[in-house]
Amino acid sequence: MRSAYRILSYVLAAEIVIQAAAMVYAVAGLGKWVDGGGVLDKAAFESDDLSFTGVGGFIVHGINGMMIIPLLALILLIVSFFTKLPKAVVTAVGLLVLVVLQVVLGIVGHEIPASGALHGINALLIFAGALHAARLASTPKVVVEKETAAA
Amino acid sequence: MSKQRRRLLLASAATLALLAPLAWFWWSSLLPGSYSVMDMGYTDYGGGPVPAGTATDDDASSHGSAHGTSHMPGHGSTSVADLRTTARGPADVSVDLVADQGTVTLPSGREIDGYTLNGSSPGPRIDAREGDLVEVTLRNGSVPEGITLHWHGIDVPNAEDGVAGVTQDAVREGEEYTYRFVADQVGTYWYHSHQVSHEQVRGGLFAPLVVLPTGGIPQDREVLAVTHTYQGIRTLNGEEDAVRFPAPAGETVRVRLVNTDNALVPVWADLPYRVVAVDGYDLNEPGPVTGQAVVLTAGGRIDLEIEVPDHAAARVQVGGATAAVVGPEDAEEPAAPPQPDENLDLLTYGEPAPLPTLGGQTNLTFDPTTAERHFKYEIGRRPGFLDGRPGLWWTVNGHLFPDIPMYTVEEGDVAVFRIENNSGESHPMHLHGHHAVVISRDGVPATGSPWWIDSLEVDHGEEFEIAFLADNPGIWMDHCHNLPHAVEGLVAHLMYAGVDTPFRIGDDAANHPE
Repeated sequence: MRSAYRILSYVLAAEIVIQAAAMVYAVAGLGKWVDGGGVLDKAAFESDDLSFTGVGGFIVHGINGMMIIPLLALILLIVSFFTKLPKAVVTAVGLLVLVVLQVVLGIVGHEIPASGALHGINALLIFAGALHAARLASTPKVVVEKETAAA
Repeated sequence: MSKQRRRLLLASAATLALLAPLAWFWWSSLLPGSYSVMDMGYTDYGGGPVPAGTATDDDASSHGSAHGTSHMPGHGSTSVADLRTTARGPADVSVDLVADQGTVTLPSGREIDGYTLNGSSPGPRIDAREGDLVEVTLRNGSVPEGITLHWHGIDVPNAEDGVAGVTQDAVREGEEYTYRFVADQVGTYWYHSHQVSHEQVRGGLFAPLVVLPTGGIPQDREVLAVTHTYQGIRTLNGEEDAVRFPAPAGETVRVRLVNTDNALVPVWADLPYRVVAVDGYDLNEPGPVTGQAVVLTAGGRIDLEIEVPDHAAARVQVGGATAAVVGPEDAEEPAAPPQPDENLDLLTYGEPAPLPTLGGQTNLTFDPTTAERHFKYEIGRRPGFLDGRPGLWWTVNGHLFPDIPMYTVEEGDVAVFRIENNSGESHPMHLHGHHAVVISRDGVPATGSPWWIDSLEVDHGEEFEIAFLADNPGIWMDHCHNLPHAVEGLVAHLMYAGVDTPFRIGDDAANHPE
């Protein structure tokens, strides 16, 4: 369970990296497309048929952010119940809360752009939190030995 | 019990505590293989009297009876299938339509995968004169999932409304359905499939319909432009970029614009224009508009009046990507005018008029201040499960589909809808079978021309009050015309007490109106 916790935490951190990369890829692609005469307005946005280099970035960001990352955070929390690591549960709860907040900030950002700025900052918190969790589970075995001895 | 076992037990209990509610929400969101709209949600009488002969049933009016466990009260006497056009005799306008699925060649020459009516998309324009009896025979040539036709904006009798699973069964391959209605509403309309509509409309299963006044239009000529996005390609009447419409200098032209897309389109021009009609209904004394765009709601229509300038063409920009260029054929194509920063506010546009005098139509003769039913249609958004699918879904009055209100009226009622949008995105709300007049927005009363709508763009944070006369018995969809939003749960119904439907929605019934 300890290694599951570690691997899940690393995957979560990697997902944040993918999220950042996908978004900038998409925005850059959109900029290039508009520069070439493409017109982006609400009708184009809602048509589900936009095709430019980078449009996949938006799709990846949406699916990852709304489905896969929340699911990862939830599984991490469940796994944390079964690890004997100190602070594993607290860290996983904290990550899940940050992930939920991240989804909310992302959605509110459609109406209040400043919320999008917080979304960007919160992403770094999740990234740092996920790395912290991974390192919790890879600290020297001394901790485990101590626990085993105590039990 | 050892410490280790206790720990394992605790961890399992915590896991269960986390997953059990999720599993419950998932399970309770599953829809049956087929269901009747009559079984959806809970009855909302809008604070008005409960219709006579209705057993008030606590279960049916509670918020949880969405899964076919109890039938709605007040049903039974009239089937929607019987609410047909009563006018007899030969039709004045008779149209045969065949719908097909496959490769479509657009008027621009571009080929897409989609749908056609009589081999083309947009399908054939239907023209009628005020009072004409229109008869359309629809045959499904090759659309496997079935089709229907909905007469968007025309307040036809319920059985002619073309909503699969509510007013009829979808027309299967090789089958036919005949629609009949009296075209007594003058103006610009359109028709489209209401079976798997989010795919079929997007794929091209639609066409314009115009009802001309008996005395003709006051302008010298008219042009019609249907805006549609085919697989990301923006078009007007299936053509791309700037589309030419010949008109001699000095003539007044009525520019009929139809938005068949899922999103609003701003419209502006390089010369002053008047908005002479919205959703088919004429505005009273509309003034010239300069430096402003007018918003064309998804599913909505707007008629503009322009005067062709001397020695030049006028350019009406329909969104950033397409334009109608109206003028002499040899006139140079004008450059696209920049989009104005400001939008025309229809709440204050034109001059007020007493409602009954407008258009002389009987369904407009009522006094909104006498409304006996006040409905709330509050749009929100929250995470949850919709038929087992996790996601972020639209809510109506805080509830997810299908636990949403069944707005119930009696024939002759005057009813007011308060549409509030707190969902983060704008929604083009479309009520079938009725035209409603806008009373206020954000508490500010309408002071312009009477503003009749069948499709109303409600932005995030806005609150509209609209009023209508319940004069068309049936079961009517009241939904978001950003059609994927309807799939995501933004569909409610307006029901007349005493009306029932034999049709069912769902996989087993093969009817999917959204």
